[in-house]
This record gives sequence, structure tokens and C-alpha cells, in this order.
Amino acid sequence: MKNNIAELLEGVNGLITLPHVFLRINQLIEDPDSTLFDIAKAISQDPSFTVRMLRLANSPFYGLSSTIATVDKAVSVIGTSQIRNLALSMSVASTFAGLPNNLVSMDNFWHHSLYCALVARILAKQARGCDPSTVFTAGLLHDIGELIIFNRLPEQARASLLLVLDQVDNLPVYQAERQVLGFDHAEVGGELARQWGLPPLLIECIACHHDIAKAQHYPRETALVHLADLIAQMAELYTLELTDVSPVDPAAWEATGLSTDIIEQVICEAQNEIIEAEKLFLGN
Amino acid sequence: MSLPTIPRPPLVLPGFEHVRRTWNSTYEAYAARILPGEYYVTANNEGVYTTLGSCISACIRDRVSGIGGMNHFMLPASGDADGWKSTSLSAATRYGNFAMEHLINVILKNGGKRQNLEVKLFGGGRILQNMTDVGMRNITFARDYIQTEGLKVIAEDVGDIFPRMVVYFPATGKVRVKRLRSLHNNTILEEENRYLSTVESKPVCGEIELF
Repeated sequence: MKNNIAELLEGVNGLITLPHVFLRINQLIEDPDSTLFDIAKAISQDPSFTVRMLRLANSPFYGLSSTIATVDKAVSVIGTSQIRNLALSMSVASTFAGLPNNLVSMDNFWHHSLYCALVARILAKQARGCDPSTVFTAGLLHDIGELIIFNRLPEQARASLLLVLDQVDNLPVYQAERQVLGFDHAEVGGELARQWGLPPLLIECIACHHDIAKAQHYPRETALVHLADLIAQMAELYTLELTDVSPVDPAAWEATGLSTDIIEQVICEAQNEIIEAEKLFLGN
Repeated sequence: MSLPTIPRPPLVLPGFEHVRRTWNSTYEAYAARILPGEYYVTANNEGVYTTLGSCISACIRDRVSGIGGMNHFMLPASGDADGWKSTSLSAATRYGNFAMEHLINVILKNGGKRQNLEVKLFGGGRILQNMTDVGMRNITFARDYIQTEGLKVIAEDVGDIFPRMVVYFPATGKVRVKRLRSLHNNTILEEENRYLSTVESKPVCGEIELF
């Protein structure tokens, strides 16, 4: 299986690369000699990214009390690790535009991913001990493996989706993928994140969001993304019935200390945020 | 250790031998899967299910005897550029009549009574935003048809923007409707378009036997 995933990812090398500005920020954060000023300078060299970042920093979504007018101030107020998350979150949709497919529209795909990100962020604020902005990014990236499978293995991907529709039961898509392909989109996405050198927390959340028992280092964050994925589906379908979506792993509630009581309020909050968030993260 | 025993499938009514039925442990019953353009009628305790995008399904049964079934259809496009609008509209309606009458006639032929029939309607979703609302056209047709036939819709879940999976148990009249994620939109649309192209290339001909 590992070999198959590696082959699959070889095929997308060069088709999708993270933007220069993100790679530069990532590099500077890892470099102990770099300063906030270096990071601000790297951001300023990408004017369109600068504009989007300032717009985000000043939006109600970010919720800062003072106005952020310059990149220097944005970097110092937001903090370097969060800047890295923001840079990743703002560029992921355009990055994957290089991997089109006929099975799902990019609008629908990112709509779900963004809902998952918003729900994960709301849950993280209530679960305590998890950084909401990191979990937001994990939520946004959780299904990236899907886009790789859809683009590289369209026939098998179609067969997996048809298998889901063919069952009366709720056969989750990842289980259909395992039956058809021998691996699933979470494993593919996790491997891509690893090859990209993304932070270990993101890699684990992406790789284990359907199999939270496998999360060794970040079980709570992974459990949050698992819950967020399913609650996001409920928000998209305008339902409050957990049985309308794939089954939740009960261990996810235990790991996060959250309970089903919060679902309605979380869905409501996410539905209120989605339109603004689409403009900030999915717009150009 | 004993394996859970799966009972043999109930007897199938003549004409439906080709429909695939699988055992479902959640419902502890067999369920028949129908595709666009198909229908299924049963006199036994088994389910019938399908997935719907802009297509529509009528679930009809005799509430006394429990004989009933489900169809799955859509009206072919009408209003061609050649100006033969009225002709193609009636051709489209003829197709809808065909789908509805087949289902009702087979129920009646197997002992259902017209005065006992109850109808539930599902589907007709607008799963593509930038196209004419073909789902609504199917809903309107089905409602009109049922009214004209003097039947009554006792429950429906139609329209809106979601594809649906519908599971129907004619013996009890129970239905489970599940809204499906937008991830499934294109796969369902492909299936419906394939069906539509066969309908449009093979217009309905022949008489329908009325009971």
C-alpha cells in the first residue's frame, strides 16, 4: 500500500507546489537566526498575499481589537506560528486548482473543507488546550488526499463513490476507497503533508481523521478534526441528526471532553461564519 | 460459534427478477436497488431503495394489503430549439405517465386496491445551481399526475438542493430519506444523464394497459 501511495504522489509532483511565500515563511520559522522582521519582509515581497493577509487580520473572523495596518504589526500581533497557518490556509485552494477532476466541483469540495475548518476552530475554543488556529488549518486540509485520488485515479474514485451510493447503509467514502484501492484519502493526504514538510500536528490530523486511534502525538486535535468533519457535513445538509452522516467514533467525544449537546450551537455558529470565511479563504 | 444466518430472499414478483436485492442487517430485511428508469413492486416484507438527484420517485402502496413499490424517473427535456415545444412537452409527459402507470398497474394487478393507495414523493433536488430547475419540473408533473388520478400524497421530501437516498418499505409504508453530501452530486448526475440520453433516444411507444 505504501508503495502505491508513494507512486500516486510522484505523479502529482510538480503539478501542485505550495506558493513561494509559504515556503519562505516556513523556512524562516524553522531558522533560529531569523527575526520577525525577516518574516515580515518575506511576506511583503508578495503584494497580493500581503493584501489578503491584512484583510484577514482586520476581519471579524480574526477578531483583533486594534487595526492592523502594516505587515510588521500583523506578524508581531498574530505571531509567527499562526502566520504560517494563515499562509497555508490562504494558499491551499489555489495550490490544488492545479489538480482538477470530474467527480466533485472545487466549490463543493472547498465548501466542505472550510466548514470543517470553522467547526474545528469552534470546537477547539470549547475543548481547551488545543490551538484553534492550528486546528482550523488542519480542518481545511483534512481531505486534500481526495483531490489527489480524484485526479490521478478517476476510475477507481468513481467506483468508490458508486459503491457508497449502492449501499443502503452509510458506507463511509474512506471505507469504500479502502475496498476499491486498498488505501484511503486520509493516508494519501497525510503522506503529501509529510512530503511537504508540514508541521507534525497537521500531518497527523490529516492522516488519522478517519482512524483516530492511530493518532500517537496529537490525539485531541485529531479527534477534533474527526468530529468537525462530521458536524460540518451536518451543517451542509441542514440537519441536526447525527444519524444522517457517517458514524462518529465515540472515542472522539472522550478525547476532547466535548458532548453531543453542543452540536446545534456549533452548527449555528459555523453557518453564520461560512460566507465571510469563503470570501477570506477561497476568494482571490 | 454460529454465523448469523441470512434468510433466503422473499419471492420476487414476475418481471422483477433482474433487480438486485441484498440483505441489510440494519433493517433486517432484503432491499432491492433500483436505478433511474426502473421500478420495483413487492408483496413481501422487503425494502426498495434508490438515489435521487433531480429525478423523482413515487412510493405507492396499498395501505391495507401492504403491496407496493417505488419508481424512479424524470421527464426528458422539452422545448427544443426547433419550436416543437408543445409536441415535445407532451412526449415528456407521456414518459412520466408511463413511469407512474407502470408502477400503479403492477400494484393493482397483484391485488392492490385503488381506493387503498397511498403515495409518498421524493427527489427533484436542484443539485446544479446554474441550470433550469429540472427537479421542480419533475415534482410538478408527479403532483399533477397524482391529483388527476384522484390519489393523495401523504408525505413528501422534494426539491431543495440535496441529492437523496430513499429506502421504502411498502409492507409498513416506512421511509428513510437521507440527504447526501455534495461530494456525490456529479456521480448521481452522470447516472441520471446517461439514463436521460436513453430516454430521449427511445421515445415511449405502445399503449399502456389501464385497470
